[in-house]
Amino acid sequence: MAGAPERRFFFGRARRSARPGETLLDALARGGWPALQRSIRYHRPRGPFCGVGYCTGCLVRVNGRPNVRACRYVPTDGDRVATENSWPSPRFDVLGAIDFLFPHGIDTLHGFVRPRWATRAYHRVVRRLAGYGAAPEVGRTPPTPPPPPVRRTVDVAIVGGGVAGRAVAAHLAHGGAHPLVVDRALAPEPVAGGELLASTTVTFLPAPVGTGDHRFTLLGFEEPDRGVEVTARTVVLASGGYDAALLFGGNDRPGVVTADGAFALCGRDGRRPFRRAVVVGGGDRVGEVLDRFGDAVAAVVAPGGISPPVVRRASDEGIPLYPRSRIRSAAGRGRVRSLTLEPRGGGARFVLSCDAVVLAHRRLPTSQLLFQAGARMEWRGGPGAYYPVLAPSGETSVPGLYAVGDVAGILADANERAAERVAAAVLGAPASGEEPLPRVALEGPNELEGYYRELASLPRSGRWVACACEDVLLHEVEEAHARGYRGIEVIKRYTGVGTGLCQGRYCLPDALLVLSILEGRPAPEVGYITQRPPAVPTPLAAFAAMADSPTGPEGA
Amino acid sequence: MNGPTRSAYRVIVVGAGIVGLYTAYHLARAGAGPVLVVDRGFLSSGASGRNGGGVRQQWETRATVRLARESVAAYRRFGTEFGYNVWFRQSGYLFVAETEAELARLRGVHELVVSEGLPSEVLDAAAVARRVEGIAPGAVVGGTYLATDGTLYPFPAVWGLYEAVRALGVEVVLGVEVLGVEASAGRVAAVTTRSGRVEAPTVVNAAGGWSGELSGRAGLAVPNVATRHEIFATEPLKPFLDPMVVRASDGLYFSQTMRGEIVGGITLRDGAGVAGGMPSSPRFLREMSRALVRLVPRLGSVGVLRAWSGFYDDTPDGFPVIGEDPRCGGFVHANGFGGHGFMLAPAATLRVARAAMGEPIDLDPALVSPARFLSNDRPPSVERLQLG
Repeated sequence: MAGAPERRFFFGRARRSARPGETLLDALARGGWPALQRSIRYHRPRGPFCGVGYCTGCLVRVNGRPNVRACRYVPTDGDRVATENSWPSPRFDVLGAIDFLFPHGIDTLHGFVRPRWATRAYHRVVRRLAGYGAAPEVGRTPPTPPPPPVRRTVDVAIVGGGVAGRAVAAHLAHGGAHPLVVDRALAPEPVAGGELLASTTVTFLPAPVGTGDHRFTLLGFEEPDRGVEVTARTVVLASGGYDAALLFGGNDRPGVVTADGAFALCGRDGRRPFRRAVVVGGGDRVGEVLDRFGDAVAAVVAPGGISPPVVRRASDEGIPLYPRSRIRSAAGRGRVRSLTLEPRGGGARFVLSCDAVVLAHRRLPTSQLLFQAGARMEWRGGPGAYYPVLAPSGETSVPGLYAVGDVAGILADANERAAERVAAAVLGAPASGEEPLPRVALEGPNELEGYYRELASLPRSGRWVACACEDVLLHEVEEAHARGYRGIEVIKRYTGVGTGLCQGRYCLPDALLVLSILEGRPAPEVGYITQRPPAVPTPLAAFAAMADSPTGPEGA
Repeated sequence: MNGPTRSAYRVIVVGAGIVGLYTAYHLARAGAGPVLVVDRGFLSSGASGRNGGGVRQQWETRATVRLARESVAAYRRFGTEFGYNVWFRQSGYLFVAETEAELARLRGVHELVVSEGLPSEVLDAAAVARRVEGIAPGAVVGGTYLATDGTLYPFPAVWGLYEAVRALGVEVVLGVEVLGVEASAGRVAAVTTRSGRVEAPTVVNAAGGWSGELSGRAGLAVPNVATRHEIFATEPLKPFLDPMVVRASDGLYFSQTMRGEIVGGITLRDGAGVAGGMPSSPRFLREMSRALVRLVPRLGSVGVLRAWSGFYDDTPDGFPVIGEDPRCGGFVHANGFGGHGFMLAPAATLRVARAAMGEPIDLDPALVSPARFLSNDRPPSVERLQLG
């Protein structure tokens, strides 16, 4: 890549450039913290949050195409990039006044019914506020028809090209198989002994029962809109995990990012879009954050304890630690400027000044495809999330479907053994009655649940955003409960939590804990959310280009 | 374990969807006595939480047009009556035709609708293009448009009715399946549920996609068939499309919701029956995306956010089943709405409630009574506009 020319594009009227291999978000972050979006209901300022293509914080318009995730787009020469959903700009948006005018939120469930003669006017106004990007311009799209879809029929497909997926691929290649690795990364490294397909898998279906067909169908797309269809006899899911969100006042402010998001914003050249970050968490993930940009970390704050390696590491670098702390609110107009904390054991509230809050307190499994495939899932109380029920071989309840790595909840030091076992099973080795591998704790206590339980009885300040994509506030979830609605499926439909672009990845895990506390029953009884395809928003054009009679089964 | 608090009720309504809850509402308002609503799932888990929210008055038969017209009036006042905003936006239903023959059929609908005093219009291709900006040139020859049709949000309607019936003293038990219906001397006596036996002289079958199964369990077979239909929603966009668009040839329909999502589906004739569950299929994602992009090419780069499916409770003649079963006194049907329960419920359930109280109803029994399936006569009429 060295020596390749920079790509020049327009950002509004300004000329910008991207270095080879840089995403649009990367390129925009070089000019400081990118202000790209406003929230959908209250037009609160929003910035990049997740860094991995799920949230709404970096949606921009590229060449007339709406809702392009800047973190998932590699600019090409002459691109025209524009911001959307704000006027005149995301930094100064006139509609931002809504946030001040309605400090308790807007109740669209009960409000706007009187007077009846104003109905049409209400509809017009509310409709105009909704939506992210404008529809693609007439006549401009598609400038060229989408490329023909990619089709593969293989024996083994591995979904996810991270450490776990590659370990399985290596073992399979060693055993003489030629696996297909489907990876979401924009420019993934090649896989030795296997084929690599850069694609996001969005729909995953096991073979229909009773048809004698034992193949899986995976539909996906390669950015921006090339359809991908894979038929495989065996699928190994190694989709990994992601960093969770956290509930506190102002938790949606620009500058509050997940660790994934912070990594996406820090260039390979050592550039940092922040200098004094507060890192939230106390485990291994915090260690990874310190490895990458410890020089820009002002403090480590943990809702629970902080692990000895992180303590050692932080003291070496002189970074102050605040274990067992309650995060009350993030303040700052636009971007976050400070974080208000208090010790959980009692003591005075204090304020840390900062220019970013990096959430590294909790990794969650990227399990959407497992739910979609109908694999049996179980609640694991330690991390507080659903994981697949696994045989010692790594096979899920769906024959021919295996899971490894973070999505399976296998502990990091057992990953290599897990990969070996899965590969052996896929290659047809007879099961030898092995012991199950060490996985994340099945039984609680879940640290975060205890933390939220304490917070439930305390007064709150600032907006506690329960669902950032749909701008649903935490008190709306509590009100739905107070009105007698029970279970996460009903609360989702009542409040809109989990119905936005991230497909609930950043709101449902915490909503589940909060509801479990409110309803006074364990999280698995509060339920889980049916994962609906596609796992990631997929362009109509990619689906439209799929074959008429796909090689795989048709679903049910 | 939750369960009914009493051992006997005046009426048991099976199904807490829009039809069951609205029926309970009318019953409670009429002072019917103790009413129980029982549902196997959670609120809005069935078709009432899965439909596209369309409410139209363009139908091929006068009886349906009238029911729909009455329902439109009910949804207009829903907010003030129930305190929940269903965002019923009357921005029209636009039926589009690809051929002159289809347009001729739509003209027939238009004439009937106009004769009922509704402001339907016939549009040429250019007028259609003005209402659907970016429609592919030459894709349609024309269409019909009724400005007072519209779309709403289904969920708040369920919440509003749920709270209203409970305030009126109706008991709603969720997560309890009805296993059977007991009769004695040709009359309903009780239902058996997973949480016990409950007596009532009247049982209303408002079980939507499961109603055929329930009637069967009561020994009162009806030809209702549950058909799985799929639907999807895209990422929210700024408003660009006002009407609900329906294509007569293949049942493609789509509209843009208040939130900005394009919500739509297409008719695929495949697996019937509730046993298969409610999965989404690659075939639907492909066919729907293809049909939509061909009709409105500019939408190709828009992201599909989620797809889901639900059941239409279809009857052979396209009319719902409303009224007491002639084979068993007190067993009242409120089903067979063929995917249009939401749009017809307010008016249709007024009749259901009357039938449950043993009062006469003003619907032609030859069209809606379950008795029509018991004779060998040909149906007097068929409603074939079972789209969108």
